[in-house]
Parts: sequence; C-alpha cells; structure tokens
Amino acid sequence: MTTTLEKAPAPTPEPRGRLAPVAPYASALQIAGGALTLIGALLPWATFVLNEGPYPEKATLEFFTAPLAVTGFRLHLVLFGIAAIVLSLVTVPARGRMLQGLGWGVVAVTLANTLYLVAEGGGLGTITAADGAVAFGPIVALVGGALIVLGGSARRREDKPVWAWRSNRYVEWAILLVTYVLLLLLVAAVLTSGGQGTAANVYSGAVFLSFLGAVGGLLAALQASGLLTWIAAVSERHRLFSVVVLLFVALALPLTQAGTEYWMTVAANIGVYAATAIGLNIVVGLAGLLDLGYVAFLGIGAFVAANLSGAAAAQFDIEVPFPLVMVISAVVAGTFGAVVGSPTLRVRGDYLAIVTLAFGEIFVRSSQNNIGGFTGGSNAIPGIPPVSAFGNDFNDELIIGSVELPRGALYYVLIVLIVAAVMLVFGNLKNSRLGRAWIAIREDEDAARAMGIRTGPVKILAFMIGATIAGFAGAFFAHKTGTVSYESFKFLESVTLLAAVILGGMGTIPGAVLGASILFVLPEKLREFADYRLLLFGIALILIMRFRPQGLVPDSHRRAELAPDSGVPPTPGTAAKAAAS
Amino acid sequence: MLPTLLSQIVNGLVLGSLIGLIALGYTMVYGIIQLINFAHGEIFMIGAYGGLAMFTYLLPTFVQQQWYLALPLLLLAGAGVSVGVALIMERFAYRPLRNAPRLAPLITALGVSVALQEGVRVFYPGATAALPFPKVFVQGTWAIPVPGGTVPLRWTGLLIIVVSLVLAFALNSFVNNSRMGRAMRATSQDRDVARLMGIDPDRVIVLTFVLGATLAGVAGILYGADLGFINIDIGFQNGIFAFTAAVLGGIGSIKGAVAGGLSIGLIKALGGQYLPGGTAYDYVWIFVVLIAVLVFRPQGFFGETERVRA
Repeated sequence: MTTTLEKAPAPTPEPRGRLAPVAPYASALQIAGGALTLIGALLPWATFVLNEGPYPEKATLEFFTAPLAVTGFRLHLVLFGIAAIVLSLVTVPARGRMLQGLGWGVVAVTLANTLYLVAEGGGLGTITAADGAVAFGPIVALVGGALIVLGGSARRREDKPVWAWRSNRYVEWAILLVTYVLLLLLVAAVLTSGGQGTAANVYSGAVFLSFLGAVGGLLAALQASGLLTWIAAVSERHRLFSVVVLLFVALALPLTQAGTEYWMTVAANIGVYAATAIGLNIVVGLAGLLDLGYVAFLGIGAFVAANLSGAAAAQFDIEVPFPLVMVISAVVAGTFGAVVGSPTLRVRGDYLAIVTLAFGEIFVRSSQNNIGGFTGGSNAIPGIPPVSAFGNDFNDELIIGSVELPRGALYYVLIVLIVAAVMLVFGNLKNSRLGRAWIAIREDEDAARAMGIRTGPVKILAFMIGATIAGFAGAFFAHKTGTVSYESFKFLESVTLLAAVILGGMGTIPGAVLGASILFVLPEKLREFADYRLLLFGIALILIMRFRPQGLVPDSHRRAELAPDSGVPPTPGTAAKAAAS
Repeated sequence: MLPTLLSQIVNGLVLGSLIGLIALGYTMVYGIIQLINFAHGEIFMIGAYGGLAMFTYLLPTFVQQQWYLALPLLLLAGAGVSVGVALIMERFAYRPLRNAPRLAPLITALGVSVALQEGVRVFYPGATAALPFPKVFVQGTWAIPVPGGTVPLRWTGLLIIVVSLVLAFALNSFVNNSRMGRAMRATSQDRDVARLMGIDPDRVIVLTFVLGATLAGVAGILYGADLGFINIDIGFQNGIFAFTAAVLGGIGSIKGAVAGGLSIGLIKALGGQYLPGGTAYDYVWIFVVLIAVLVFRPQGFFGETERVRA
C-alpha cells in the first residue's frame, strides 16, 4: 500500500535522559530481544506435567522439534519475535513505538503463561530446573520482551505518523469491509479463545489472558503505526456505510466459531449489560450525575416483565406480548427514574451519589422482602417463558436453508438490535440540544443555568432516559434468563456497571460497550480465579482512576476535564472548588 | 408495653453509639478533604478481623481466658490494624488523586472498599462465613427494673456506650484544644491558607485518617465482642449507617456525628419494632431518612448552613 506521510515539522526529540546511553545500541537490543523471544518460544516451558494435565501447546516438550508447527501462544511469540527483528532492520516511521507495543505484547503473553505455570506447578522449579529437566522458555522470552521494550524506548521519539492516503469511495468501502470482517473474526477469536472454562478445561483462563496479551500488543503496535487512526478517519468519512456494515457484522457472529449455545448465551448477557451501561453512560458520562443504584432500574424492568409473562409466580395472570412488555417495563422503570432523579433538584455532587445509593438499597431490601408479592423475595420469580415469534421459541435452534443457527442465536440477534437501537438513541441524544445541555451541566452547573438551561428538568430527564433504557434491557433479561431474583441487582452490580462505563470511557458509545464486554467476559473466562475476581476488580478500579481516569476510549471533552496535567485550564467549577477547599 | 419501648430504646442507643464512633471517621475525613471515604466501613471491619487474628493466633491461652488482659490487647490490635490499612489506603489510593476532579476519588473509594472486603474474604482463613468472636468482656445482662417488667442491657452494650462517649469527648477536646486540632480545623476551612500559615496539609490529612481509623478499629472490636460473631459484610452495612449518621448530624461536626449515630440507632430499633414491615424493613427506614435529610436539610443538625457543595 503506498502512503504519503506528512513529515513532522519539528526535529524529533532526543531519547529521554536515562535511556540515552543505550540509544546507539537500540537496533542491536531489539534484534537480540526478537531472537531471544523466538528462542524462548521454542524452548520447553515447564519441567513437568502439571497435575491438571499437560499445559496447552505442548509446553513440557523437551525442545520444540517442529518449529514450523508451533501453535497458540508459542506461535504468537514466534510471530512477535520475527516482527521485532524485521522492524529493527527496516526503517519504518515510528518503529520505536511499534516495537514498544510488540515488546509489551511479548511480556504480557509470557507473564500470563509463566505466572500460571508457576502458581499451578508450585514454585519456580516449574520454569527453571526440576526433576532432572530444564525449561527456561519463560525466562528467555521474558528477557527478550524486556529487551524489545528497552530498545523501542531508547530510540528517538517520533510522532505517530499521519496517513493521509485517500482513494475513491469504492476502494475505501472495500477496505472498511475487510477491516470489519477482520474485526468480527478477532472478536470471535477472543470470545472463544481458551474455550469454555470448566473442570475439564482448567487452562482456559490462562490461555485467554495470553491471547488477550497478544491482541493487546498487536493493537498497540498497529496504533503506533498510525494505521488504526487512519481506519478510524476512513470510517468517519463513510459513517453510514460503517454503521450498516458493523450492524451486519455483529449479526454474523453466530456464523463464526462463536456460534454455539454457550457463547451465544455469553454474548447475549454481555449485550444486556452493554445496553444498560449505555443507559448509565447518559446519566454519568453525559450529565455527570453519579448514580450508584442504577442496576435497580434493570431490576424494575425485569420484575415488571416477569409479572407480565404469565409465569406461575407472577402477580398478574396475564401474558402480554413481548414487544408490549418491553414498552411497559421501560415506562415503569422510566417513571421510577424520574422519582429517583427528583432529588437532583436540591442535591448535588457526591451527596447525590449517596441518595441514588440509598434508593438502590431500598430497592434491594424491598425486593428481598417480596414487596407486594411482585418480586418473589428469596424464591425469585422462576419459570418465565422464552420470547416466541411465529410459533418459534427464541431459545430453540433455527435452520434457515442450509444455515444452522445454534440455540440462543435468536436472543443474540435480538439483543444486538436492542443495543444498536440504544446506541442510536445515545448518539443522537449526545449531539442534540438536550445532550449539549447535559454536557454543559456536567462541566459547570451554575454556568449552564446562567446560559439559560433549565437544569432541573434536564437532569431529571437524564435519569428518566437512562432508567428507561435499563428497563428495556431488563425486560429482555427476564425472558432470556427465565428467572428473576433480587440477587442480580445488588449494589455490587451497580458498581460493576459504573466500572464498565469508567473503564471504557465516560460519555462514549464504544467505551460503554467495550467496558461492559471486558467486565462481563472476564469472570466467564476466569472461572478458576473466581475467588479473586472481586478483589482484582476493586484493585482495577483504583488503578484505572489513578493511571487512566479517561478510560480506554476517551471522550474528547472528558479527557480535557479529567487530566489536570494536560495543560488545559481547569474548568471554573474545579477552580472554585479548589478555592473553597 | 413500656419495657418493650424502653428495651428498644436501649438497643438503639447501643447500636447508635457504635455507629457514632464510626461516623466520626467519616465526618472528619469529609471535613478535611471533602471525600466520602466509602472504605471507612471496611476499616471498621478490618479492625474487627485484626483483633480476631490477634486473639486466635498470638495470645497465649491464659491471656485469652482473662478478659481484662485480652480486651485492651484486642483494642490495640484492632486499632493498629485499622490505622495501618488506612495509612496504606491514604498514601496509595487517595493522595495521588488529591487534585483530581470530584468523581475520581469517590470511585477510587468504592474500589478500595470492594478490594478490602474481598481481600479479607480471600485471605483470612474461614472468612467466607461468619466467624465467632471471642467473648472479651463480662457476659450476661443487667436487668434494669422498670414499671411493668425489666429492661435488659447487655454489659457489652454498656461498654459500647461508655467507650464511645468517652472517645467522642476525647476527640472533641483534642480537635478544639490541641495545637494539632487547631491545624485540622484550619485545614478544613482553607487548605491553601493553612499551608501559608506553616501547616503541612499532608500531615494533617494523615492524622485525620489515623484518628478515624483508630476509632473505627475500636468500634470493630466492640462490635464483635457485643454480637459474638463477625462477617465481612459488617463494614459496608455499618459504613452506610455511619455515613447516614454523619450527614444527619451535619458533616464535619463531631457532636453531629454522635447525635446522628444515636438517632440512626433509635430509628432502626424503633422502626423495626413499630413501623409496618417490622425488622425486615428497618434498613429501608434508615435509607428513607437519609434521602429525606439530604434533600431537605443537607447541612444536618449541626452543619454549617452556607456551604458550597459542587
């Protein structure tokens, strides 16, 4: 592909002080690092067979006898090693940054496997020498990765190249189409990597983490090369095309290797939380109102749907058609949203967060006590029938012509459509007069009021619309899982949703979806770490707020607000606060 | 009739003074750095576990059997563990975010809370279920005669009331009379001007966390001694109650925290007895009160009336 690169006008800055002495040897370091990575990948990785059975990718082989037949994490390491050697020999713009990305990828892959081997094998003997066998693969690969990172950092810092290449519409469409199909395959591969975590498949978590590390390294390298920015710019030029194609690509997931009942269920659950997270994003990300009891609205939607489903434990003995149920659930949840939002008229900031937390706790306590018979208390409401259309239950498998869709695929299709609709609503709201009013309130409420925004109704609307979306998702949730219990709507779920929004990036659509996917896929994958799940989750929250408060996909406004060192003058609100404190 | 009412009042006062003790930590930290330290409830919980660990693993049997030997040591251990954890938390979680926007430290506090609770659950042996707490004070009850019957007051309950009031008075006189207390008040009014006057705000903030954690650790031990068992949920639950108490009394006010704590205790005890729904809904009444106070009188009983809360 021919690309014209815009030269950076300023001379490239010299490498930073501490690394200056190694700068002349950067290429040598990288070649050495790449070679060590290659060698490490082919060395044995464990000195004995673990109790649970041989580690994936034949990690206990004496030496790898068929270098061309490597698979799994070894293949990733081999590829990364070759890429590092090639990059250090060929002059490519910003190769220092690309190499850093690759190096961190190698380190992540190696660490994921090494830590697991050490933990399961019971000590460092697993990866060094024990029982008369030696296995230095992990250590060699780790050193290799570190050398690549070091060499990459020691190079002269170059700005990320800007690709200005354009072509006619059809070529760009074709490029986008290929990109999105690759994206689909990548998503399917990430989702299924390591397989379903069960007693028979104990290594799924480690394999998944290792795969995630490889994908992260690859994406970091691509981002550094400017390719991803370019793709983003192209897709921005063909917005409508991208949206339509992405929707179809998302709907095609059941046709990939993820098309089994299990993965469809996982994907549908992610969809529920993604839709809910987008709703929460309106309240927290756009309007800046911290809601700590948001999952209650999902619960209200679910309980309304459960009671209207004709289940035996339902309070009403009627079965309302599903589309109507969704509307009713959304309306009821929205009404409660307005109630919960009404204190915003008088309460601000973290006091508001506490009010919402109190509402959330009231909901949990009341539904635990089976208030009015609507929630089933600790018995829950079981036996909610699945959604059906044209005499076909949504949890049945479906055969259209020669294409066989797995069980649960219809639910997946439905939730994709729901998430797409919610995204559409969010995107339009964000750029509407109302959305701008929310953002203005988030930045500075008093200034917003002075500009003529009626802050009271606007804030209540934020709560109402957010709650409506959650109620909508709740109705789906009730029919999908078949049982609705107050246990699913506890405080921790609210925190998880909030964490999803923050991790992804407040105020952005991809952020909420990405955050929800990460936070709800990880527990599914890391079953053997289930005990540590919440602990890691709490630590992750602390680390995110410390090191990347703007999230993985930052919103441009938000970035300026949350990064005090970025040189942007503080907003008047924070200045006033600093003066008041 | 009367004995029931009075014994519920007694129960409320016992719970309330404990809540007040925890609320002091909330109110002081909020007064100084305007942070709702969500994790303060977990500091209370960790104090209880610290005491339990000391009793189980360190104390020789003859000390275990004499409550007057064991109780002071347990109180020291509880306060020590709480202070240690609070110091680590302040240094590594809150201090880097000192000048960050308002939401960031609050979310961090949520993370700290989850991490501490789970850390205890995962790493303390047997903490997945409720653990029995040693009986480190005189057991039994004092039956106070009243017309129509008697009102039972557990000796441990009496201990809670006495210790809480003594500590609250001590804290009050420390903040009002000592040099460091004056520095704390100055910092809470205006950190920048306090710095100009030669006060090191970081030291004051650390001291605030230390004082709050000490009280929380003591409260944790007293709670365990009174109830006879502890589990990892006690932190979140009582933390929310204590926060409610701090707000109810007027955040930043020491008198307010105690008064708020006593009110919360009474609401829970009397609401569980007399309001519809009974004890199943006593939590709900506390949250209703919390919302009502925040909406209609956010400055609480003793709070300053004009306070900019952005």
